[in-house]
Amino acid sequence: MDKKVPRSNIIETEIPMGTVHPAALEPYRVRFFVEDEIVQEAEITIGVNHRGIERIMEGLPVEKANALTEKICGICSNSHIWNSCRTAEMGLGIEIPQRALYIRVIMGELERLHSHFLYLAHGCEVLSHETFSMRVFYLREIVMELLAMIGGNRVQYGCSVLGGVRPRCDLDEAKLLRLKNDMDAVEEGLTGFVERFLADSVVQSRITGIGVLPQKQAIELAVTGPTLRATGVARDLRTTMFEYDEFDFNVITQPDGDVKSNLVMRALESFESIRIIRQAIANIPEGKVVNRDWEMVDTDISESYIEVPRGTLYHSYALESGRVRHCIIRTPSMANIGAMQYACIGDQITDAQLCIVQCDPCFTCTDRAIEIIRR
Amino acid sequence: MFENILANPIIVVILTILVCFIISTLLPGIERKYIHARIQQRIGPILIAPGIMAPLKFMFKENVEVSSPVPGLYKALPIICFIVVLCVLIALTPQAYQIPALASLVAIVGFLKVEEICYVLMGALSKSVMSVRMPFPDKIKGAVHNNSNLSFIEDISARRSLRMITYGSFPLYLALFAPIVTARSIFLQDIVAYQQVHGPFLFTVSGAIAAFVFFIGYMIILNEYPFSIIKAKSDVIEGPYMEYAAKYRAVVYLTRGFFMFVLGCVFSVLFIGVPPTIMSVGFLINILVALIFVFMMGIFSAFAPVFTNRQLLPTILCTTLLGILAIGLGLL
Repeated sequence: MDKKVPRSNIIETEIPMGTVHPAALEPYRVRFFVEDEIVQEAEITIGVNHRGIERIMEGLPVEKANALTEKICGICSNSHIWNSCRTAEMGLGIEIPQRALYIRVIMGELERLHSHFLYLAHGCEVLSHETFSMRVFYLREIVMELLAMIGGNRVQYGCSVLGGVRPRCDLDEAKLLRLKNDMDAVEEGLTGFVERFLADSVVQSRITGIGVLPQKQAIELAVTGPTLRATGVARDLRTTMFEYDEFDFNVITQPDGDVKSNLVMRALESFESIRIIRQAIANIPEGKVVNRDWEMVDTDISESYIEVPRGTLYHSYALESGRVRHCIIRTPSMANIGAMQYACIGDQITDAQLCIVQCDPCFTCTDRAIEIIRR
Repeated sequence: MFENILANPIIVVILTILVCFIISTLLPGIERKYIHARIQQRIGPILIAPGIMAPLKFMFKENVEVSSPVPGLYKALPIICFIVVLCVLIALTPQAYQIPALASLVAIVGFLKVEEICYVLMGALSKSVMSVRMPFPDKIKGAVHNNSNLSFIEDISARRSLRMITYGSFPLYLALFAPIVTARSIFLQDIVAYQQVHGPFLFTVSGAIAAFVFFIGYMIILNEYPFSIIKAKSDVIEGPYMEYAAKYRAVVYLTRGFFMFVLGCVFSVLFIGVPPTIMSVGFLINILVALIFVFMMGIFSAFAPVFTNRQLLPTILCTTLLGILAIGLGLL
């Protein structure tokens, strides 16, 4: 029998946290139903930051709509514009120059690094271990500066455009050299952090066996991304994306689905990202970075799935006279909310925010999703 | 004339309190700038910001009416805490030895217990907006339990404070009683006199163990990481202090720094035999001990996550056993 089945008939009291809480970086409300400080059930409510981006995109010229998708998320902004461009490119049959694909992969992996570092730092912060948190934030700073070097900004890069990447995001020799050197620095720093983190017995006692999400439950809840892989399921969309065909990397998994597995999962996955970036630096082909040789036509709804730092990102829309129609975007956190609620059950209230954070929530992205109930 | 003024014990006590208070305002800044910030490789706040400038700033801010069923009592509690800490310091001064009922360990333990009870009351009386829900059932979002009892997050804090009174403060009180067993007296005058003859209690086996236990108890009663379950940011945020603003928050800040210094003085008296008075060069030892404790606490808290019950119970159990061992060795 599943030990984590909500015990709805013996709920003692409700403890609401949010929509503003210092342990949660984003606005959401969670109600914990507890019995003697043990969480019996959790209920997450979002919807306080809905911006209606899909509605705004409706009818916009596709280039403008692509730029708007970057505003969905401050952490994985590049992933959104990449996937949005990819959707149109698939519909219009645009061929992307090989060099542009490499730059997109580099940007994608840099973004994965900074997202995973943010996750590790936030996890340590929720554990109230500020020293570890600061240490990871310093590492993240290197990656943020690299993103600024390529994209011109630390958050919104505007790298992908229809047909490739913006010419200003092209990588010359000096940029490639800095990228290479900084990857060495990041790897060294991350190795030191992981060794220290795993050797800290007090931290390990706080994270081992906490917020367990069994593999069976993860699959039933349609969990995605590193949160799914931390339960032992080797499912990574990058293995099926044509952009990654020429790259050699491992799909990292962890066995237990608890907070420790999730944290270690992201740390190990960061090493794989560094590996991919190094391969891209070494083998980046010469040539143009954008293909302007295409024509705008009307298309049916085209769909694109990519693996972003938090899981599977879905974009779909049709094109009509160069304008976006019937746009739907689904972010990974939408699929992971069930896991967040489930992971809290049976743990102490002090660990509850940690159990939510382990699923890497990004509710501001998720809040733009709307559910249409047809009666 | 100056000698005449200093011959008055009341004036000496007042001057001692004043100097202790001024030094205590620097302690939070020292902890945050020279320990936490240095360890975390950041600049940190300026030295006087946390202990002096922040309380001054809060003193002149407009107060927000607290959300509490008994606002008068809730607002009085930080002041009571400050007075309690002040009483502990007065009890430690040599001038107080003329009043045996005050200058005894029983009185100090009593004062510290009042401080702990204040945390329970603060938590129970604070009803912040952080836990307020809509005045109608939350059915629209598909809520399952619409009629459950609502608990304020400060209530958790109050329950945890109560738990800390029942077992969390064992280490501190055991460490306080270890010198009594050796000196065979509950009066501070006798404990100090014993150490002036036989040397500091700290340099005995029993004393060294008790000093370690005292340090753990010191961190627990100060609610410092990793023992800060009553105000853990991950769930109860500021816990009992949530509703304090303006001058009441200023008093909370001042009390914390003062309490750090006074606990250092408690250690100086019981483990080194040096009572705090500005009339003696030994006062420098009081300051040094207070600083050492702040440094140790800062280092310890910077490298540990906040404990939950899973870590707290074994830690308190082990420290309590060590405290019992220290007392046992003192009896031999």
